[in-house]
Amino acid sequence: MSGATFFWMGRSIPFQEGESIASALDAAGMVSFGPGVPPSQMRFFCGIGACQCCLVRVDGATREACLTAAAAGLEVEPAGGAHG
Amino acid sequence: MADPDVLIVGAGPAGLAAAVELAASGVSVELAEQRGTIGGAIYRQPISAATPVPQAAAAKARWRSLSAAFDESGVRVRHATVFLGIEADGQVLLDDRRSGGVVCLRPKVVILATGAVETVHPRPGWHLAGVTTAGGLQVMMKERGRAPEGRVILAGNGPLLIAVAAQMARLGNPPVAVVEAGDPFRRPAAGLGLLAFPGLLREAAGYVLDVKRHRVPWLRGTRLAAIEPQGEGFAVTLEDARGTRRMEVDRVALHDGIRPNDFGLPQVGGRGEGPLVLHAGDCREALGAPAAGADGHRAAREAIRHLGADRTANSREGRDIARYRKAQALLARLFAPLPEALPFENLPDETLLCRCEGRTVGDLRALCEMPDRLTGREVKHNGRFAMGACQGRFCAANTAVLMARMRPEAPAPTPVDLTGRRWPARPVSIGALMQAAPENTDQDKEMTDEVHK
Amino acid sequence: MTTIPVCAMRARSLSSLPSAVVIVGSGIVGAATAYFLARRGIEVRLVEAVAPAAEATGAADGAVSVASKRPGPMMEAALAGVRLYRELESEGLFSGFFKTRSTFIVAASQAECAVLEAHSAALAGAGVRIDILQHEELRQRMPAVSGEAMMAVEVHDEGHAIGYQIVHRLLTAAGIVVHRGAVVEGFLPSSSGNGVRGVMTKHGPVEGDAVVVAAGTGSGALLGFSDVLTPRKGQLLVTERAPELNAGLPGAIMSGRYLLSKGSQNSGHGAPARGLGLVIDPLRTGQFLIGGTREDHGDRTLNDVEAVAKILRDAVALLPGLANVRLLRSFAGSRTAVADGLPLIGRVPGRDNLFVATGFEGDGICLGPLTGKVVADLVCGEAPSLDLRPFDPARFGACEVAA
Repeated sequence: MSGATFFWMGRSIPFQEGESIASALDAAGMVSFGPGVPPSQMRFFCGIGACQCCLVRVDGATREACLTAAAAGLEVEPAGGAHG
Repeated sequence: MADPDVLIVGAGPAGLAAAVELAASGVSVELAEQRGTIGGAIYRQPISAATPVPQAAAAKARWRSLSAAFDESGVRVRHATVFLGIEADGQVLLDDRRSGGVVCLRPKVVILATGAVETVHPRPGWHLAGVTTAGGLQVMMKERGRAPEGRVILAGNGPLLIAVAAQMARLGNPPVAVVEAGDPFRRPAAGLGLLAFPGLLREAAGYVLDVKRHRVPWLRGTRLAAIEPQGEGFAVTLEDARGTRRMEVDRVALHDGIRPNDFGLPQVGGRGEGPLVLHAGDCREALGAPAAGADGHRAAREAIRHLGADRTANSREGRDIARYRKAQALLARLFAPLPEALPFENLPDETLLCRCEGRTVGDLRALCEMPDRLTGREVKHNGRFAMGACQGRFCAANTAVLMARMRPEAPAPTPVDLTGRRWPARPVSIGALMQAAPENTDQDKEMTDEVHK
Repeated sequence: MTTIPVCAMRARSLSSLPSAVVIVGSGIVGAATAYFLARRGIEVRLVEAVAPAAEATGAADGAVSVASKRPGPMMEAALAGVRLYRELESEGLFSGFFKTRSTFIVAASQAECAVLEAHSAALAGAGVRIDILQHEELRQRMPAVSGEAMMAVEVHDEGHAIGYQIVHRLLTAAGIVVHRGAVVEGFLPSSSGNGVRGVMTKHGPVEGDAVVVAAGTGSGALLGFSDVLTPRKGQLLVTERAPELNAGLPGAIMSGRYLLSKGSQNSGHGAPARGLGLVIDPLRTGQFLIGGTREDHGDRTLNDVEAVAKILRDAVALLPGLANVRLLRSFAGSRTAVADGLPLIGRVPGRDNLFVATGFEGDGICLGPLTGKVVADLVCGEAPSLDLRPFDPARFGACEVAA
């Protein structure tokens, strides 16, 4: 299902069927997923949902980007800072 | 649908093996898995159309047989479902991310097979965006069937680093270096011991040859001491017996070993009205995939005995697991960090220890240098270690080790002293949890608001 | 780090003053007593069965508040308790550990409005600074609060403190080294008179000129007050950081129903087996602390999903934005309640130099520092700054202390 995209802060991000949001963001060159508790930033780290570093908002719900499958049309945003 | 007799958490080798065994015995069983796919970290399958990451032939064969048996078992998998814990009245709480609700189940047995988690030692800069765990890098690589781009350095300790390096090389972008705190070439006794495990040796030799063939420097007895941002990437500081040097890279992947992913999980045993809790696979003892499979069978048989559906149990798994334990102990000796590469020496005070709450080595030192000897729990509370969103998964063990080093005369805390065992084992949406209800009974039993009486 | 003011180091030469005092228990009451004694230059020997703030203090909601109090001795005590927090904050001891904020008691039904109106009049009558918010004013002041809120009473000049942080602060400032794991087995009788000369612990004797027992429910067995003290369970919840929502809440919100839940002030044993009342406190970290229950039964340390889900439904009904925030932790603790709903503070009947301070139920954080101060006064033979007669342990008659 190539050609499918979701939105990261309004920008279209392509993904492959079954790919996680984290993987698709990484492939699109997004190293930082937004602000975290200083001096750290939200970003991909452990890949198994343990570290809570890659939190994003997916259609309003806070999710680990590494566990959440991308789907066409999702609105994905930074988690809104300082989650802890 | 009625509650299953056995609920398994985690669809890796241990969970799948347990499910197969239980289903074959006619026990009703369900599996909860946080991802949309099964296989766990080791057998993670690529997304459709992606090239599978090359794996050793033996591993491929194990997966083929396990996945075929599991498909045949017809066991229901609840995907995108996270285990939250067991509440005071004995109900098992599952966060179903697809429905957006929390489900309460009353199985008679819960088998927790949540796998392993990587250890990452603190070093200056480990928290920067663009630094991942080596396992995390491997997850992406397995998922996408492509090596990460740019100049990647793999650093830390243990056989996984060389395996990831070989997989990257086979996918076309070998790492610029593998930095290894130990030096297997200087541990001949452990190496000889591994001759008793030809399968393991074959796999390891394959990885080492691949890495050599692609001329990847394997810097043994070396430690990646610090990471600084530089341009779009990083400058990393490498230390060995001869001195320090710097390298410029685009990505850093760290890995200092693995340990059971048992943070916050209920302990093994039965309590009150609650289910019997069993741990299986790497979350009980991190011995790798083949051992996890055997341990899944062992746990399944324990569950069957508990349910009174006993079959003639045999002890083959026990012997197998003992053998894997011996192999892992040899590997640990083979890769034992050299004395000059001790990871907790000379950490600058500003080094981040807890990323979630932004707490540093210096914050811990201040608490440890008090004349009053605080317990682990007091250090947790007053230093805010293990109190953030990861609930201690990446700082509790490091904090416990550092505390023991900083005040060797005081009783050493355990990671559990810092994390506790409370539910939710993972953060959960309030909107989902407030609707928590048994799946299989009437839900509208509101609690009387006693305050009005 | 604040150290003890030199001007406070005095009076050791007075012969009536003890030179060393044993304190049993290092919850907030024991820690505060230790601090105020040390401040007078008295040596403190603090013995603790587990670790500081390991029990009720470490599982408290942290309200430093008079908002739910009715006129009477507990309101007087709470007013003095809040004043002391402000004093200790301005002198630096609690600086950074006491968050000044209002409490908003919110009514969401006509019945709650009626109760709240009467309650606010009582608060105002006791000299508490309050404002009544309605309609547009309510929406403007608390935009994040649900449209179902009909009225709110803002109780000014209150605050929030985290129990274990206050304990750590008090012990650190006084430079006290706690005897951890020292379970007390009984008292050492003095050679003459009715006094005691210390306690016997698992690790051996600890002697002093006076003994203060601040050991929560454990005080009952030591002092023969077991049938007077009951453990009462409370469940609490902590969310992840949600800085935007947190910033939109000008203070703690308390459901108007909480007033009815707290109605047991003078009838502790008539209270329901399990009561729920709602308080949502925005913490300095951007997190929220949400409570809670008052329960006579059940496992003291575990949370049940029925109560947690109910608390969360009530919380979201008042603060809808919480539905999109994640719960990080749930915890439960056991607080010590006294049969008549009033704490025990004072000299143990028939004992010259043995004192008790416990039984604060949900008010320990608010009243802990104040209690430490007045118990230090008592131990030093001075008139306490709070009228302690309603709290005198002698109201339950004589007791049989463990030896």
